[in-house]
Amino acid sequence: MRIVVPVKQVAALDDEFELLDDGAGVDPDFVERDLNEWDTFSLEAALLLSGAAGEGEVVAVSVGDDEASEALLTCLAKGADRAVRIWDDALQDADVLSVARVLAAAVERESPDLVLCGVQSSDAVNGATGVALAAHLGLPHVAVVSGLQYDAGSGTAMVERELEGGLIEVVTIRCPALLTIQTGINEPRYANLRAIKQAREKPMDELALSDLGLDDEAVTATAGARRRRLRPPESGGGAEIIEGSSAEAAARIADIVKERMSG
Amino acid sequence: MSVPAAEEERPVARDPKYDILFEPIQIGPKTLKNRFYQVPHCIGAGSERPGFQAYHRAVKVEGGWGAVCTEYCSIHPESDDTSRVSARIWDDGDVRNLGAMCDRVHHYGGLAGIELWYGGPHAPCMESRATPRGPSQIPSDFEINIHPRYADKDDILELQKMYVDAALRARDAGFDIVYVYGAHSYLPLQFLSPFYNKRTDEYGGSFENRARFWKETLEKVREAVGDDCAIASRFAVDTLLGPASIEIGEDGVRFVEYVDHLVDLWDLTVGDIAEWGQNAGPSRFFEENHEKPYTGVIKAGDHTDKPVVGVGRITNPDTMVAIIKSGQFDIIGGARPSISDPFLPKKIEEGRPEDIRECIGCNQCISRWEIGGPPMVCTQNATAGEEYRRGWHPENFSKAANADKGVLVIGAGPAGMECAMVLGKRGMSAVHLVEDASEIGGCVNWISKLGHSDGKENLARGTARGLGEWARITNYRQIQLDKLRNVEVHLNSRLSAQDVLEYGAEIVIVATGCHFATDGLNPATHAPIPGADTSLDWQLTPDQVVKGEKPIGQRVLVLENEGYHMGASVAQRLAGEGKQVHLMTQVGDIAGYMEYTLEAPMLHRDLHRLGVGIHTYTMLERIEPGACHAYNIWNEAHKEVFEVDTVVLCTQRLSNHELYHELKSDKAALEREGIEGLYLIGDAAAPRMLVDSIFDGHRLAREIDSPNPAMPLPFIRERRLWGEVANSDFDTQLFGTPDVAPV
Repeated sequence: MRIVVPVKQVAALDDEFELLDDGAGVDPDFVERDLNEWDTFSLEAALLLSGAAGEGEVVAVSVGDDEASEALLTCLAKGADRAVRIWDDALQDADVLSVARVLAAAVERESPDLVLCGVQSSDAVNGATGVALAAHLGLPHVAVVSGLQYDAGSGTAMVERELEGGLIEVVTIRCPALLTIQTGINEPRYANLRAIKQAREKPMDELALSDLGLDDEAVTATAGARRRRLRPPESGGGAEIIEGSSAEAAARIADIVKERMSG
Repeated sequence: MSVPAAEEERPVARDPKYDILFEPIQIGPKTLKNRFYQVPHCIGAGSERPGFQAYHRAVKVEGGWGAVCTEYCSIHPESDDTSRVSARIWDDGDVRNLGAMCDRVHHYGGLAGIELWYGGPHAPCMESRATPRGPSQIPSDFEINIHPRYADKDDILELQKMYVDAALRARDAGFDIVYVYGAHSYLPLQFLSPFYNKRTDEYGGSFENRARFWKETLEKVREAVGDDCAIASRFAVDTLLGPASIEIGEDGVRFVEYVDHLVDLWDLTVGDIAEWGQNAGPSRFFEENHEKPYTGVIKAGDHTDKPVVGVGRITNPDTMVAIIKSGQFDIIGGARPSISDPFLPKKIEEGRPEDIRECIGCNQCISRWEIGGPPMVCTQNATAGEEYRRGWHPENFSKAANADKGVLVIGAGPAGMECAMVLGKRGMSAVHLVEDASEIGGCVNWISKLGHSDGKENLARGTARGLGEWARITNYRQIQLDKLRNVEVHLNSRLSAQDVLEYGAEIVIVATGCHFATDGLNPATHAPIPGADTSLDWQLTPDQVVKGEKPIGQRVLVLENEGYHMGASVAQRLAGEGKQVHLMTQVGDIAGYMEYTLEAPMLHRDLHRLGVGIHTYTMLERIEPGACHAYNIWNEAHKEVFEVDTVVLCTQRLSNHELYHELKSDKAALEREGIEGLYLIGDAAAPRMLVDSIFDGHRLAREIDSPNPAMPLPFIRERRLWGEVANSDFDTQLFGTPDVAPV
């Protein structure tokens, strides 16, 4: 069984940060890069399935520049068998649909039994890459999965989703299929130092667009959205900073509550 | 001074709301560059360990404190506090040794203060064999059986000359601020307070008469050195003894107004010496800025025209701003906060207040002075007192020579957290801190829930607050570990020896903590107690009390054999919850070490208030359901039966060292798996106090690249070397890589 896990190297903001002069991004000095949190759960789900099957292959795939290799190395250290990184300068400002288009070309080559994505990335928060990828691949999909059982014999998966009021929806899906995996579905493992060292010896393919039979135009043709700028939130009014000792602060808070309740 | 790389990359200006803390202020002829002032506090250096003295004080100036002072500094052999360690400025040799402190403090751009001290009957003169003088022949309420000689008028002139001579020597040594120290019930305050002063001449009786000695001494010292040095006085505005002594509304205010023209700086405190924990308040009973109702009155009530510095374990920059803006003090004084974080001001200035290592108020620093002799220690700052003798700096960490190695630290308790953090700061390529539990902190997580906090007024002052502030041990390290990109923390992960062997780390550090004896094994009898078994649901270890895994009956007996706080903390918590508690110990006092941490007086008041029965010199012979059979250790025939529902056994602890020994026993496997170093630290090596566990973790990390990291490197011992000696004879004894630079 082969499971493809598309992953992303995300940018995590420091507590305090500054935007670039053109407002189109965050100054890279204030971000740290890491494997997207949701992807640690989708990878773990893949590793658990592959481990239970006793055979098969988990392939981590990412669209990203050199730095994305770190995210893929993390996947390899945790137990992915090999990795594929796709990059081309044309992808610099690629939107969700373009990335999904590129991923589709890479995933197709693998003929997977399952594609497990994270629900969303922590930096862009579109929640769309996985779903768009399913559309490109023509695969059935279930989004925001919180439980997963795979039956190799029937080639189906039984998945669970959490709905309003805590209701659990149980869905059967025919595989190959694409699932987007929610955090909390499992407890992602960590890699020990030996596995981290050995990850560098595992295969990592680095592909350009042309290796996938794509060109710049294929990317731009799919693109629909472009980020214009980022701006900090309006600082809210209506807040009062209460100073003084804890007793004084408590008294002031009590006054405010009384005032509001009587009003 | 090189600027840290991180700052070059990312200049973050301090928050403008803190600007007021960085405004200069004039103190007589001297300018204090900002509002951070290390008030005099003991460290165990004195004048006999000039390297310790100079390096410890100066590292704080390097960290932004505008002024630092010596500890109390004896002006004459008649004021000899042996075996406690004071500074001394008795002769030219002391001038030379304390001059080293002044030079180093000035190098970093700060002011140096000296606290001139004459103890009277509170100084037992055990080295000098001299006879202390005092206003009246009242024996010390702090020392055992020390009576002063009555000072007649000639004696008074001699005593004042001692102050003047000492002040001149202090000026020659290079001090900028010269104190006439009275607070904590030393000689000038002994004259002022009717608690000590029973005279009927012009130095006793009326306020003016009682104030005369202090006033004249200030005049003479000012006359001698006032043009060159700022004159400070440290004064307890209320000794908390009621009308018998100094009260804030009476002589407290009156005295400040009376001699205000003679001082350039007021350093204000509360309390006396016999219970000076009212000043150096432990967090168990006192919150931040707890002296405000007393010391805050002087400036707020417009009783002085001079700058005021005050204390109260103030670690929060917002509190500091509020204190200055509200007119409580002009200058933020710190003793313990400066020990815990010598770089507190710099961290505010650099816009990273989250890096402040806040004092937890455990008073371990004070305990070593109280014991007499040992150098000061700090739970939060393992480098305190080690600046010179080990070359440790609180913020600089040289890159380890073996930084290419990967390190596995097993156990994220006090020792493991500290070790992993320091290894991270020393630039090890990869540090994995692996913890069995779901959060880091180890025993701190339950110890910080001890004591109790019913918030009730606890007699003298303060309230029962519990040990919540001790959680700062974990909070600080959590923040630092999060920032270190080369450190990974993994929770909910228990490693077997096989897991460790296969981990791929070249260096393995076992910090797996300890557990309480489950069978009553104890330091009194060196044997289990028949019937003791904490697997039963009515017998508990202290951690089980906090974790709430077993029901606790209404009648509880706590057996406390450790001598520190644990049994008392458990008793305090359970009694605070309304249980009927007996606290039993084999020695003459419960929680003896808490005398040294100054927690004992308030603890005793609290246990008394809560109705805890205290049984000393008593041990358990056997434990049966519903009945604890006890005996008096001086007469085993003297027996007593305690009918209780629940027993808490705080007898002794045992290391969790099985993993270490299993790994160590298979040297071939270690070699095969490439493990070059295997070390055991903290409670896992030997159960100890938090302060020593953290030190142990820090020590190993600082020396991880030494020839044999398991064995501490020698440290500089500042003792007299026979024959001709140069400073280099000491300095070259540092075998490690010192992070503190000579000046």
